[in-house]
Amino acid sequence: MELTDAQLVSRTLVDDDHHAFAELVRNHQSTVRGLLRQLTSSDTSLADDLAQETFLRAYKNLRSFRGEARFSSWLYRIAYNCFREHARKRKELVGIDEEQLEREHDPQTIDPGLRHDLMHALSLLPLHERTAVVLCCQNGLSHDEAARVLDIPLGTIKTNVLRGREKLKRTLAAWGPD
Amino acid sequence: MDAMIDDDTLDRQLRDAAPYIDDEGFTARVIARLPAVRREPRWLRAMVLLSLTALGSGVAYLLSGGGRYVREGVVQLSILPIWVLLVFAFGCGLLVGAFAVIFAIRKTPEVRDLAQLRF
Repeated sequence: MELTDAQLVSRTLVDDDHHAFAELVRNHQSTVRGLLRQLTSSDTSLADDLAQETFLRAYKNLRSFRGEARFSSWLYRIAYNCFREHARKRKELVGIDEEQLEREHDPQTIDPGLRHDLMHALSLLPLHERTAVVLCCQNGLSHDEAARVLDIPLGTIKTNVLRGREKLKRTLAAWGPD
Repeated sequence: MDAMIDDDTLDRQLRDAAPYIDDEGFTARVIARLPAVRREPRWLRAMVLLSLTALGSGVAYLLSGGGRYVREGVVQLSILPIWVLLVFAFGCGLLVGAFAVIFAIRKTPEVRDLAQLRF
């Protein structure tokens, strides 16, 4: 019998069952690591360190998970907070975006071998739009859920998704078919 | 890439383009960093329970005048009608059974999951 996230959380809390928590990690590691890879511009080592920190924080704060939101949304919020704290420490949030904003207006600077790589196109978006697109379009969160994960107004997330999508479409169209 | 790509197609392509990341020991590394489970030894729990039971029994014996009230209670019970004794025994059984079920659910994850209860 495959257990739901809520059942695994319950087992972890009541029985301090590490096996149940391991199952939760296994179920969500790919999406959490994928999100963090997008946020860290594919720095897989850093993304995995942050993902580990995310799951450790999730374990320590599991009692604060009330089951009102999906467990995955709750994890994304922790992952995003881990990333923000890390970025704040290294003052990367501003630096990364400025560089990428410049690059996104110049498709010619892109490696031709990556032109049809959608993930690469995604990585060229500014951080706030990329995060919104990854959460809503790639991971299937509603605008409302994503707004809660990122702790920003609903209108802002809608705008970021809209702009991110439009930029992705423009970039992919500009690259064009070979 | 089609310049007229619509939102649904773009979203589907984004989902398809996201690779599944193999675990490759990630879960094991996370679990290794979890704080160790701290449980009291079983013998200590057993000793505490036995000591409390013995203490409670001793206090009850002393308070009952060396068992005098217990003997009187049994004598009074013996003169009650048989149906009253049966109802009394059935009630006690129900009470103990209810507690047993509650503790069984609390202690058995499978039953708890089936019952969809939150404790």
